[in-house]
Amino acid sequence: MDIISQLQEQVNSIAAITFNAFGTLQRDAPPVQLSPNYPEPPAAAAAATTTTTTTATDGDATAAFPEQPKQLSADLVKAAKQFDALVAALPLSEGGEEAQLKRIAELQVENDLIGQELQKQLEAAEKELKQVQELFGQAADNCLNMKKPE
Amino acid sequence: MWVKKMSPLVILYKDYSENPNSALSNFTEDVLPSLEEQGVPQLYPNDSIVDYKKELRSLNRELQLHILELADVLVERPSQYAKRIGDISSVFKNLHHLLNSLRPHQARATLIHIVELQIQQRKQAVEDFKRRREEVQRLLKDAFITLDGQ
Repeated sequence: MDIISQLQEQVNSIAAITFNAFGTLQRDAPPVQLSPNYPEPPAAAAAATTTTTTTATDGDATAAFPEQPKQLSADLVKAAKQFDALVAALPLSEGGEEAQLKRIAELQVENDLIGQELQKQLEAAEKELKQVQELFGQAADNCLNMKKPE
Repeated sequence: MWVKKMSPLVILYKDYSENPNSALSNFTEDVLPSLEEQGVPQLYPNDSIVDYKKELRSLNRELQLHILELADVLVERPSQYAKRIGDISSVFKNLHHLLNSLRPHQARATLIHIVELQIQQRKQAVEDFKRRREEVQRLLKDAFITLDGQ
């Protein structure tokens, strides 16, 4: 894929990482205690005595929750660094549209010149080929005519 | 009663027999970079020549800052997310507009590369022609010498 398309894909993936990150964090965030006056939710104690399988997975999710922002932000920074690397790899050699157009005009002139040269060579070579073929035909005819029919 | 419904191709070629020029389909102009003033504030200076690498990198930095601001706003003043989201989306639009305006540059660079390649191929062909013709001349001269010797 060419470099500009890669850059465009990288921009889109930065956007995707961003909204996925915020969406995931908002969805999976554990409830936050608003004020020390509110009692601790008894739901935590009750859930501990229910089936162990569901609490194991829930516990994993809530226990691993602080890891998520670190991972997601690491992904975001990695994507941004890759974008910078792609920008550095841009082959932006010619400085300006006029320089490019001038170069294109020069190349067109040179291409036409060498095209004419090629055409001349082609015509001369075709003429020589025809001459050789004619000579060969004459030689072959002479050879055939010199053979005495028996 | 049958109603005549003309398909687009019929419309395009309706008067072709009278006027062959009426079916020109190159009416679209290649004005791809439509003005940034279509509702999106322009975040990079676009007076004369744009330094694409520098602007892309600074837009990337700004994007990261805005994402960080969004995270802060969501934590502290969650109701003010709309402005931050608007800022982030305008940064993205600027990024894509910059990348799109690189496309004509890429097209010209591709053209330059192709014409250079063609010039090289034509030069090679001219050399091949010269070599082959010289060899033919040599072979014919040798043949004549051999024939004269007999």
